[in-house]
Amino acid sequence: MAEVHVIGQIMGATGFSESSLFCKWGIHTGAAWKLLSGVREGQTQVDTPQVGDMAYWSHPIDLHFATKGLQGWPRLHLQVWSQDSFGRCQLAGYGFCHVPSSPGTHQLDCPTWRPLGSWREQLARAFVGGGPQLLHGDAVYSGADRYRLHTAAGGTVHLELGLLLRHFDRYGVEC
Amino acid sequence: MSYPVPTYKKLPENVQPRFLEDEGLYIGARPEVPRACQNIMENRLLTQEPGRKWFGDDGRILALPNPTKGFPSRPPMLTREQDIKAELETLYKKAVKYVHRSQHMIGSGDPPGNFQLDIDISGLIFTHHPCFSREHVLAAKLAQLYDQYLARHQRNKAKFLTDKLQALRNAVQTGLNPAKPHKSLDTTQKAINEYKSEIRQTRKLRDAEQEKDRTLLKTIIKVWKEMKSLREFQRFTNTPLKLVLRKEKVDQKADEEAFEAEIQAEISELLEEHMEEYDQKMEGYRAAYQQWKAWKKAQRAKKKKKKQAVEEHPHGEVEQPCPGEEPVKPVPPEPTDRALVEQQVRERAARSRRRPGEPTLVPELSLAGSISPNEQCPRAEVLRREDVKRRSVYLKVIFNDKEVSRTDSRPLGADFRVHFGQIFNLQIFNWPESLTLQVYETVGHSGTTLLAEVFLPVPETTVVTGRAPIEEVEFSSNQHVTLDHEGVGSGVPFSFEADGSNQLVLMTSGKVSNSVSWAIGENGIPLIPPLSEQNIGFRSALKRADAISSIGTSGLTDLKKLAKWAAESRLDPNDPNNAPLMQLISVATSGESYVPEFFRLEQLQQEFNFVSDEELNRSKRFRLLCLRSQEVPEFRNYKQIPAYDREIMEKVFQDYEKRLRDRNVIETKDHIDTHRAIVAKYLQQVRESVINRFLIAKHHFLLSDLIVEEEVPNISILGLSLFKLAEQKRPLRPRRKGRKKVTAQTLSDGDIKVLVNVIRAYDIPVRKPTASKFQQPARSSRTFSEKRAASPTTRSPTHSADYPLGQVLVRPFVEVSFQRTMCHTTTAEGPNPSWNEELELPFRAPNGDYSTASLQSVKDDVFINIFDEVLYDVLEDDRERGRGIHTRIERHWLGSVKIPFSTIYFQAKIDGTFKIDIPPVLLGYSKERSLILERGFDAARSLSAGSYITLFITIEPQLVPGESVREKFDSQEDEKLLQATEKFQTECALKFPHRQCLTTVTDISGKTVFVTRYLKPLSPPQELLDAHPNDPQATAELVARYVSLIPFLPDTVSFAGICDLWSTSDQFLDLLAGDEEEHAVLLCNYFLSLGKKAWLMMGSAIPEGAWYTERNTRLGSHEAWGPTAYVLTREQSHYLIWNPCTGHFYGQFDTFCPLKSVGCLIGPDNIWFNTQRYDSPLRINFDVTKPKLWKSFFSRSLPYPGLSSVQPEELIYQCTDKAAAAELQDRIEKILKEKIMDWRPRHLTRWNRYCTSALRHFLPVLERSRGEDAEDDHRAELLKQLGDYRFSGFPLHMPYSELKPLTEAVYSTGVHNIDVPNVEFALAVYIHPYPKNVLSVWIYVASLIRNR
Repeated sequence: MAEVHVIGQIMGATGFSESSLFCKWGIHTGAAWKLLSGVREGQTQVDTPQVGDMAYWSHPIDLHFATKGLQGWPRLHLQVWSQDSFGRCQLAGYGFCHVPSSPGTHQLDCPTWRPLGSWREQLARAFVGGGPQLLHGDAVYSGADRYRLHTAAGGTVHLELGLLLRHFDRYGVEC
Repeated sequence: MSYPVPTYKKLPENVQPRFLEDEGLYIGARPEVPRACQNIMENRLLTQEPGRKWFGDDGRILALPNPTKGFPSRPPMLTREQDIKAELETLYKKAVKYVHRSQHMIGSGDPPGNFQLDIDISGLIFTHHPCFSREHVLAAKLAQLYDQYLARHQRNKAKFLTDKLQALRNAVQTGLNPAKPHKSLDTTQKAINEYKSEIRQTRKLRDAEQEKDRTLLKTIIKVWKEMKSLREFQRFTNTPLKLVLRKEKVDQKADEEAFEAEIQAEISELLEEHMEEYDQKMEGYRAAYQQWKAWKKAQRAKKKKKKQAVEEHPHGEVEQPCPGEEPVKPVPPEPTDRALVEQQVRERAARSRRRPGEPTLVPELSLAGSISPNEQCPRAEVLRREDVKRRSVYLKVIFNDKEVSRTDSRPLGADFRVHFGQIFNLQIFNWPESLTLQVYETVGHSGTTLLAEVFLPVPETTVVTGRAPIEEVEFSSNQHVTLDHEGVGSGVPFSFEADGSNQLVLMTSGKVSNSVSWAIGENGIPLIPPLSEQNIGFRSALKRADAISSIGTSGLTDLKKLAKWAAESRLDPNDPNNAPLMQLISVATSGESYVPEFFRLEQLQQEFNFVSDEELNRSKRFRLLCLRSQEVPEFRNYKQIPAYDREIMEKVFQDYEKRLRDRNVIETKDHIDTHRAIVAKYLQQVRESVINRFLIAKHHFLLSDLIVEEEVPNISILGLSLFKLAEQKRPLRPRRKGRKKVTAQTLSDGDIKVLVNVIRAYDIPVRKPTASKFQQPARSSRTFSEKRAASPTTRSPTHSADYPLGQVLVRPFVEVSFQRTMCHTTTAEGPNPSWNEELELPFRAPNGDYSTASLQSVKDDVFINIFDEVLYDVLEDDRERGRGIHTRIERHWLGSVKIPFSTIYFQAKIDGTFKIDIPPVLLGYSKERSLILERGFDAARSLSAGSYITLFITIEPQLVPGESVREKFDSQEDEKLLQATEKFQTECALKFPHRQCLTTVTDISGKTVFVTRYLKPLSPPQELLDAHPNDPQATAELVARYVSLIPFLPDTVSFAGICDLWSTSDQFLDLLAGDEEEHAVLLCNYFLSLGKKAWLMMGSAIPEGAWYTERNTRLGSHEAWGPTAYVLTREQSHYLIWNPCTGHFYGQFDTFCPLKSVGCLIGPDNIWFNTQRYDSPLRINFDVTKPKLWKSFFSRSLPYPGLSSVQPEELIYQCTDKAAAAELQDRIEKILKEKIMDWRPRHLTRWNRYCTSALRHFLPVLERSRGEDAEDDHRAELLKQLGDYRFSGFPLHMPYSELKPLTEAVYSTGVHNIDVPNVEFALAVYIHPYPKNVLSVWIYVASLIRNR
């Protein structure tokens, strides 16, 4: 009956070649976890940096979990999208990181990648936008074999997460 | 140094080199090293380290086998064409504009594509139908049994099990006489034991199977015999069924041998089994016997000891041995008798198996028989056949609770089979949640009845068109049908026997053969919605290979699912790994399922869990947190949840649990009569479903909801502000300035105030001098024509002279109450007072939740009560008069205005003159008409029956009202028609943005319906028509009154500002609640059936308190009128405007008509939009035939397509139970009396029985006259009866919905507030029942003070 609070924010992203970025995020947990309050998924606004490279979202994350086991520790998956000057959206990167397991504040950097696709698709992406996307988004955080997938590196998403753990010591988990 | 080293140097002395390879042991190939290098190494090892540990037995350096591959390799080229794993598949997506979706589901970023579900309905077979004759019943039974037989025959389980048994026996045989002796005895023994137990089980299964086969065959034959005898008895044949039993000869001798062998084998096995059992028992017996012996010995020893003890202490307490503890002497088990076993086995075999030598019977069912022609049948049978011919059947396809298509209507064949052969291609967007077929039956031309619903399973994603098998889904209906011909009916007992014994009740049932599958697109891709939309979380194709995750945990107990999964994932049945699973499945799916006692999933998870699931669910804190985040009403905005479970009281959940429990229990405590309780429950359910539907849509935000953006000043604004400098500082007619709107999130308790500005009132009733006691005023009655035309009144001022000069006529003040807070103005004087005062009332949102949704659902009303302040001299002694003033202030209720908070909230401000709701009889007061007339001021006003008050109400700070949801609804209307409506509406809005134009509305199930479908002549209750047979006008008024008596319930309150739903008239009458549209539709339909020309008139009117529901922000900024629905009728030469909620009617040129503007007229076959310059009913022409004045929806370019009505064929009225109404009346009276006593806790409440009975007699009179014109009579009578009482009281009239509004109304009059010591009260209730449980309630409350 341990509890975990995940409180923090998605600060922003750097290193993307596109400029107007927004981020869809979600938290995936195992079966032993139960969300008590807060929203599991969300989407940030579109940020167009005026100065510098970094797109700032400062999107709050506030979740409260109860758990009966350590399996399936929450993991955060991200999709960074970019919006072009016509208001069209295209994928800029998938990312994934585990929520830290020690209490305290953590600065996380989550690198991202996107599928490359065939040369034709790459060409189309360069000229008319769009791009290949995963049909099943859960491949981002599930441990499937990905050796056949060709990807290109995207930028990095910066997160700041604060963790509060409760009653873990009661079950022999010291933290 | 590279010379070879001799072998003896490398080996210990006197040891010959040993070559393991030659001994047959495996040695890998050594790595190849050049001979020279080897030599160098060997020399070096020998010299550096003289020990020989580096060398093997064969005298060579120790070496591992060569680890390198003999050929070069590289990973294969990755080409994209290769089959990429399904989960890593990528799809090129074009860059698209961001479409707002209700959920940003990560992972399913793809917009919903075109998905298609093919439903093939091939036919329908009734296994029972009301028109079945007795023969049909038997035939259906026979056919069913035969099907069963065929299925069993095909599977041939008995054979399979027999073979298996044989195989197992062979295995045991070989196990007992093993060919290879080296195997350990232990393992063989174990294997044999296993085999044996398996043999036992298999035998049991086989015996059961065989017995079943045999009984089935017997039953088939029995039914066939019954059928034959029935055919003979009735002397005609109805069905072509014919059963032929084919005998297959068998070789008698071989058969007998096999039979005997089988029996012998079984006997020996059984004996063995028994022996084992016997041994076990014997073992147990021996142990028990030993124990018993030991105990006996001990006992004996004890006894001896005791004897001694007793001798020693002759007077001591003698221990009594407990008799219960004495073990019974064990009985040795009986050995089994071979003869007995044999007898048992033979008996069983005779029962379940074919006797040896008996021929095998193979039944064959054919349809070769002939049916007797009609001429040979008796009359009843001919009738039945004709009835069957008249019947036809069709199916509706319901997808996600919406009808999507229906089959053609096909006649029922004589064999009760219907062939459809239709394929429906459903283009879908959502994952199908339910798929239903509804079977409808039409008899002749009369009605269509819903026979049954067939629920089809949603196909698995692997089922695509072409591969889907035709499945038969059974259905059955619970309808009761009795027929007057040969047909046996449905749900009715009948019997095959002549004496009527052995009765059978059969329900209509049947099978639909259909197949449902996913369509395949052009490029061979199945058109299946992505799995992520299935709302099953993160299950996806990659988990298909994993049994547990693809079935889900619950599926594990369900063997059918397991079997299905096995079939889908194409498990290899021959794979030994799968053998137990396959066997389990094959046994389980054949019907007699064998559920394992447990199945544990994710053992590791279980192992590492901190706590069990139950404990987690038991945690009160977690439960509270979850309920709060789910926004369950009881816990929404619950603050400060304790950190520990022990601090949470159990009672926190009580209310919630009670509500869950009571959801389906009809509570009759709050609702006095049950029908209304049911309706309330139903409404609650509709509300919940609607709210759920809109919950997601409500989370949509517009940019303006989130961002407050000050407009950048442009040149025109700058210019205006420059212009403002020159404006005068204090204008004579100041304008209100717009205020800044506040979003609801930032608010807390006490921030919001309701401001009520009471400006003035007109025509307040004035006191009547008591001197008029003996005056009999002339009975005045207003005629219909008088009401209509604005002719000057003929009434003479009869008693204006009675007023003594200088006496104040009335001293009114206004009290505003809201959420139990009260404020009142100062007292003004005269019938036309002017207060001009601002009252401030705090507002508290429920649970401190100031979100838009919560504010929208606030149901509180602002009550504005007008009282007359009366001063009474209470000086007992005249001598005191010079020195002091002793007066008592009494307040007399004159009338009230009720405005719901939701109206204020949506409208932002309410500014207008409202009609005061004054009781029809106000004793001691009268409308003072004469004075006004004399002043010649506003002659028209004097005609108005009512009094008016001017109010300005607003909320400070101004709140942003929730925007209504513009959700696109599903519709069954023609797409063309819908486009036309949109076009029509935009055109109209372009020209006259403020005029209401209505073409489509939402019905109660959330579908868009064209509005004219609601209008259709429906006849009112006969009782109302009979009341005034010769006076159509009176009939119309009575009908309008009937409609107005149906309680009013605004949609905004019930559906929390979500949308406006229209119910049909029968739904409305069943619900007995609705808003003004429903009232107007019903009234219009009644008028149409009365033969009047009637239209539904959409427009805006002065809100009459609660008659004010819908909101329209455009109008809100414009005027304080709310959009509403009225009914317009055309009499011979003029038009009448009817207010459906009050039942009042007005002439077109009546200035007091609350309707202020007309937007459009709706008739049963067209819609006309007002394109005239003015929209006030006074100034417009209602002639809809003039295209210049009225723009019609259906015109020559778009002719009226003849839309069918959504209304029922006719309304059915039940007479209301008079006795129930009388009982209700008594109960209400009792409850109200109790309430009044409760409200007066500090005073004695005395009831004047005499007065009460007088009032009770008077109320039916009021009902008859509809509250008009009875005042004078009544007053005279009362005065006659209660001459020496000072009497103040009034009748209240309202439609009955529930008890609370009644008590509220009585409370708001403040009658109970009188605290004069010798006051007495009177209260009478009268309920007049109208058909369909519509009740008109009259409550007369009065206080009496005895005059000294």
